[in-house]
Amino acid sequence: MTSVTDPTAAQPQKVPDPALLDAGAEERAAQQTPFRRFCRDFFASPVASVAFVVLCCILFIAVFAPWVSPTDPYDLAVVDVMDNRLPPGSTSFDGSVTYWLGTDGAGRDVLSAIFYGLRTSLFVGVASGLIALLIGSSVGLVSAYYGGRVDSLIMRIVDIQLSFPAILVALILLAALGQGVEKIIVALVVVQWAYYARTVRGTALVERRKEYVEAATCLALPSRRILFRHLLPNCLPPLIVVGTVQTASAIALEATLSFLGLGLPITEPSLGLLIANGFQYMMSLQYWISVFPGIALLITIVSINLVGDQLRDVLNPRLQQ
Amino acid sequence: MLIRKFAAGAFLAAATLAFSAAAGAKELTVGLASEPTSIDPHYHNLTPNNSLARHIFNPLIRMDANQGLVPGLATSWTAVDDLTWEFKLREGVTWHDGSPFTADDVVFTFERAPNVPNSPSSFGIYIKGKTVEKIDDHTVHIKTEVPTPLMPNDISTFSIVSKKHGEGAGTEDYNSGAAAIGTGAYRFVEWVPGDRVVLERNEDFWGEQPEWSRITIKPIQSDPARLAALLAGDVDFIEGVPTTDIATLERNEDITLSQGISNRVIYLHLDHFRDDSPFVKANGGGDIVNPLRDVRVRQAISKAINRDAIVARVMEGVAIPAGQLLPEGFFGVSPNLEPMAYDPEGAKALLAEAGVPDGFELTIHGPNDRYINDAMIAEAIAQMLTRVGIRTTVETMPRSVYFRRASRGGPDGLPEFSFILVGWGAGTGEASSPLKSLIHTYDADRGYGASNRGRYSNPEADALIEEALATIDDAKRQDLLAEATEVAINDGAIIPLHYQVNTWAGRKGISYNARTDEYTLFTEVFSVE
Repeated sequence: MTSVTDPTAAQPQKVPDPALLDAGAEERAAQQTPFRRFCRDFFASPVASVAFVVLCCILFIAVFAPWVSPTDPYDLAVVDVMDNRLPPGSTSFDGSVTYWLGTDGAGRDVLSAIFYGLRTSLFVGVASGLIALLIGSSVGLVSAYYGGRVDSLIMRIVDIQLSFPAILVALILLAALGQGVEKIIVALVVVQWAYYARTVRGTALVERRKEYVEAATCLALPSRRILFRHLLPNCLPPLIVVGTVQTASAIALEATLSFLGLGLPITEPSLGLLIANGFQYMMSLQYWISVFPGIALLITIVSINLVGDQLRDVLNPRLQQ
Repeated sequence: MLIRKFAAGAFLAAATLAFSAAAGAKELTVGLASEPTSIDPHYHNLTPNNSLARHIFNPLIRMDANQGLVPGLATSWTAVDDLTWEFKLREGVTWHDGSPFTADDVVFTFERAPNVPNSPSSFGIYIKGKTVEKIDDHTVHIKTEVPTPLMPNDISTFSIVSKKHGEGAGTEDYNSGAAAIGTGAYRFVEWVPGDRVVLERNEDFWGEQPEWSRITIKPIQSDPARLAALLAGDVDFIEGVPTTDIATLERNEDITLSQGISNRVIYLHLDHFRDDSPFVKANGGGDIVNPLRDVRVRQAISKAINRDAIVARVMEGVAIPAGQLLPEGFFGVSPNLEPMAYDPEGAKALLAEAGVPDGFELTIHGPNDRYINDAMIAEAIAQMLTRVGIRTTVETMPRSVYFRRASRGGPDGLPEFSFILVGWGAGTGEASSPLKSLIHTYDADRGYGASNRGRYSNPEADALIEEALATIDDAKRQDLLAEATEVAINDGAIIPLHYQVNTWAGRKGISYNARTDEYTLFTEVFSVE
């Protein structure tokens, strides 16, 4: 899982896995790499397997949106207001394009807009998740390793942060920062880092009392090395789980902010903004402008959450039979 | 003509109702798009405030549904000479507390209205330069230093308040109701900000008794939510029906729609005064000498815009393509101006002639919660301009941010943007209002060009406007205003897009005598049993 070169660094696998203690398991384990074992456990659940495949498809679409989209929804020379609010399956004004999921109020192809919107939503979710993870886990590790006043101070800041609703903090930040992708990412990082910090601190507190850390301390290794080479790799499993859940919630939060009109420019809508733009047409039964982006958002978040749940089950020895 | 067409239905309804309206106890709950910022009628010159003030107070001269002038607290007004107007006041009018209305109240109003502390937008522009003199209890003379043909229009804009209750009263005394004692058809009961304003019929009103005995006004800002409240029966009547839902509502037998053209033109203002304009760039983002200063480029932009497409597709047909500052039928409009025809090839040719054959980059700024479908109009314009080579990006923002930045957000308090989508409603109901505020050279001291956010300046137009504003003779003034409009529009001072058409909706049988000034007056809401 991790390429640890330090001979004293503990491998997570060194802890006997209860799942491997049943008859014949040890023999099998000898033939399998940890990765293969992980895959076998992960794909044992059909629901998680489907979710994983769906998530891969979504990632593919998001990455290759410019090539798989029928039209470029951000190119104002292509989007024509004469084609606005066409129902699903209509052809364009000049007969050149078929809008499989209809068009929105500006004449944008909803399908293409969803593809590009997924790209924005996933980018924002993953980027903010990674940055928050980096900051949060460093802070959490420091907090657990040094303990005492440092720990109290950091954890009180985390408590204060978590006592405010995430949406409120993000709204205030965006009101101050203004609009734009990078500003949304900043706001989401500020909202999320505390979750990572708290998770890592909890795990690291348990780990740092173990013998391999004691051994490393006795060798007089520098703190930095113990923190990042010894403690961090062993805190990874819960981090991965929290990471997936937080990415899903970041995507949902970004959609909420865009829905409230604090996200991105209207000519480059994300999923939340597409839903917001379509909302005003719901009363006149032009459902497709809101509903399809809503479904896309739903599928994305559910599949990420399912994958995250399965990861938690697989990576948590106590939940295995 | 257009006005008559739109208002005809409402007039018919009103006529039949004049006989059937009973003065029984009937309550009306309404959903309005925005709530007033104060009950003080002189605090803020803003449509929701003025609209509410018309119920509790009266001006000396009232405006009818088409902004024609009709007697209010004054029964007649005449110019005694070029500099003096005589107003005869209505006799037998009482304030809501029973005290009589006299010339002293008018004199007091002229003192108070321009001097309300912290007023975000004062009525001073209509009152400064006018001195009022009491002749007897029911006659006043208003004197000016220069001939003021628009005296009656100016006087119609502000409410008369009671001297007895208003003396020493601040805005908060009006908000609490202590000073909100008027002569209007409704008494003020209470205002719970964010929740409701309640009015009760004034049984001693000097004019015709309105149909509804009690009015509860609910501010519901979101369009779909307001409509949902009407459909669910939470409110009986709403303003600002979203254009997208009009077609569906027309088929709904439980709902009655009322429509009327407005005096509001939606237009584009361009940067006329900076060679280096902040939101105009060469292709690729480099610097460029502001091409918007070239009249050919301005005309190319006008030609590139398909007004019929905007009206048909964005506005659902509920708007009228515009070729000047006010719709046909208003005083001072030009008979010679038509909406610019859509001609993308002509636009490209003009751009080439002006030395920018490959276009340039531009950002259009607009509000997203002020005018009907404003953000979508900005987006449609960006599409149309991009197609003739002017690559346009759109930035929209809430009105609270937008207007401040558009008027004075740049360095030295200058307008910040280069190309903006805005609207202008002619408060006086004739063409001098937009000409004076949008076209005339910016001159803060003399009150000219107050909303000239493109800083357009044309001595020829200025001279015509100033001459018109000093001409008492109506026919001659009409011609001068029309000529000034032609000079400005042909020079691309602004690019008009369309005139708004407003829609109100009520439960079955509740109709509205639609107004060009966009006010929602409950005295004009009628029901058919």
